[in-house]
Amino acid sequence: MAVIFLHDSPSGLQQHGPRIRISISAPLMEVEEGKAVGLEYPRPLQLLALIDTGSSLTVVNPEVAQTCKLRPTGITKVSAAGGIGRWPEYAATISFPEHDLQSFELIRVVGCPLPQQEWSCLIGRDVLRRWLFSYDGKTGAWTIEE
Amino acid sequence: MSMAALPINLESDFGVFEQHRANWFRDHPGEFVVIHKGQQAGFYPDYDAAFRAALRSFGPQSQFLIQQVYAVEPVFVIV
Repeated sequence: MAVIFLHDSPSGLQQHGPRIRISISAPLMEVEEGKAVGLEYPRPLQLLALIDTGSSLTVVNPEVAQTCKLRPTGITKVSAAGGIGRWPEYAATISFPEHDLQSFELIRVVGCPLPQQEWSCLIGRDVLRRWLFSYDGKTGAWTIEE
Repeated sequence: MSMAALPINLESDFGVFEQHRANWFRDHPGEFVVIHKGQQAGFYPDYDAAFRAALRSFGPQSQFLIQQVYAVEPVFVIV
């Protein structure tokens, strides 16, 4: 069981929110099978993701899904700032290269535009349901406990 | 309601899901159905099992749809 401690200034945490570096790719099981029949996959993409308690699901910008060649496997109805719409769900693997946290070897992520945000990935409550997450605005610290 | 551009066969399979989901819900509430080329290809207790089975059955080059069988389509909020 890992506990990780992350820190910013109180103002920085207020402005940017709690964030964590992730690595995202097509599911490892798909990559293994695909490579066995000659398919090519891009290297996992590393990016900073916002831990967003207001998001029920993990979301990526569609460009991330395209860059990582994620496989669409479903359709989800989403209520976001732009209104209600149906967006594709993709199968992915998400890991945390800078931290000793367990990977999500198979997770659904929704490909939905995140306009006017500095983030291209929101870590939603589907991930948070596996963590104890705490946020200390007074000190600018946040912690994740598995 | 907007709809993102999706692979045509995924949209087509989603239409099959919409057409049958009320019937499927009676026998498979909350399960995950796999649809491939317009045909139901099995019900599974979770997404993980459905994905693994679909990948094994149809291979990494095939498109397939996995949807949870619900009575009322859920709306997931992103704020």
